[in-house]
Amino acid sequence: MTLLILYLLASLDGLLCGCRTSMGRCPLIRLRSYYARALVRGFAAAQIASIIAAVALACVLRFAPHRSELVLDLQSAARRMLWIFLPYAAAVLFSLALRLLPSTDVRSASSVFFLGPLTAIRPFLMFVGILFGIYSARFWETRLLGLTVLTLMLSIEAVLNRLASLRQSLEISSLV
Amino acid sequence: MLVPVPRFFFFPSFIVPLREGYCLVVSAQLLLPVAPCPYPLRSAHMFPLSFNPAQPEITDLIVQHDPATLERLPVNKNQVLDTFATFRNHQALAAVRAIPARDAVLDPQAVDRLMLTVHWEMQRLAEEFFHGQRIYELLKVVLNALQANGIERPIRVVDVGCGIGYAIRWLAARTPLASQGVELVGVDLNATLIREATRLAAAEDLPCRFLHGDAFSAQHAGHVYLSTGVLHHFRGHAFHYLLRRHDLPDTAAFLHYDFRPWVLAPLGSWFFHILRMRTAIARHDGVLSTARAYTGEMLATSSRNALEDFSSGIYGANIWGTPLPRVFHTLLGMRRRLLPAFRAGLGVRAIRLGEMV
Repeated sequence: MTLLILYLLASLDGLLCGCRTSMGRCPLIRLRSYYARALVRGFAAAQIASIIAAVALACVLRFAPHRSELVLDLQSAARRMLWIFLPYAAAVLFSLALRLLPSTDVRSASSVFFLGPLTAIRPFLMFVGILFGIYSARFWETRLLGLTVLTLMLSIEAVLNRLASLRQSLEISSLV
Repeated sequence: MLVPVPRFFFFPSFIVPLREGYCLVVSAQLLLPVAPCPYPLRSAHMFPLSFNPAQPEITDLIVQHDPATLERLPVNKNQVLDTFATFRNHQALAAVRAIPARDAVLDPQAVDRLMLTVHWEMQRLAEEFFHGQRIYELLKVVLNALQANGIERPIRVVDVGCGIGYAIRWLAARTPLASQGVELVGVDLNATLIREATRLAAAEDLPCRFLHGDAFSAQHAGHVYLSTGVLHHFRGHAFHYLLRRHDLPDTAAFLHYDFRPWVLAPLGSWFFHILRMRTAIARHDGVLSTARAYTGEMLATSSRNALEDFSSGIYGANIWGTPLPRVFHTLLGMRRRLLPAFRAGLGVRAIRLGEMV
């Protein structure tokens, strides 16, 4: 269950990364299909990261001499991570929900006061969440897996951003 | 008067050293005891030395046009660098140094690509602040007031300094104005931006036009003028002249949106731009804009002095009648006979309208 929640959070993070890295790169007015594609890219990136993490987990479990204890250790670390990631995800979803209100002022304010700061603290929060999870872990394998997941999570946005930047540069070069 | 404090990031309660040449200027009372001000700073707020409002924005300097022929002029890179060196603006210097040059002249193709990238990014700001909706809410009341006063359609709405035409394209895409006899036109001096605006409008089959030229010339004149983030680019006499040019026979009203300066605006803008903008120029100019923006009082007074036949005031300075400032406020002006119909049409939004004189 804990693993499933972490996977869902990673997928949500991927969706939002896909959207965020595509913003400001398409000057059309009707952007629904553009952002839909961006969300799909983000989701796909999160799936790739999740698969890599799952393969790493399987490898560690396969070769670990103390498998049952390691599983308990991993579960305990993952549960600790949720203490950080779940409230963050709830805050992000709440600020996104505010944008459904029909007031332009409320929607703008949600961007300035909630989404902006939440975006700003994302890398820091990833770092804190993983460290909080693996800090009191018993096995080095747990710590290694935690750091692998952290690297993957932080890489998603960087990779998506790089790809979006390349696409934009090509498009602008074709115009001027 | 404001005071720049070299190499310090200044908060009211503590000082943290930052990188070379980077500092904050805080309100007059806090800084007067620290050092004298070498620059004629206007608004007493908090911003880094890079955001001294006495200096121009990067985009003001890297593209130049002949005022008479509108032909693109070569821009000497060293002159641009010298301007920002005078202000010890290291952020601007780094951004300009990164632009390719040939024989000390900025490469026009590289500048155009940069300008497009920056304008694409800036559109994101308009999207996040629902700027199209904000314009439409006010514009439709103005247009109704025009109609109530016998000004027959078609009515031409002209966006001055439209850039890539976000406001006009949004109005064309999201509102029924074009089908109601409102001609939506964007005008800009920058031919590259106009080409891009035209391309984007064609890509979405939008009922609007974009023209390269002088928005106040006889051939492009409009019944209603609007602009976004343009006013603060005009300083001193140029600003007064810009306002006076609205006094055309057919022009009935104008809505000019610009940043509303207040104590935390540059800091908030800096945070927003660091998070949202990617190009160094967008980050720099976006924040400098908030430092250079005119106060509502200054805008309204200048407009009243320049345009005797118009009634001018500020719309939407605060949120919901509270002291909380909006990011943008609007310099609103209209022929005096339109005012009663306009006020009546505002309904509950009348609370947002300041004094119209």
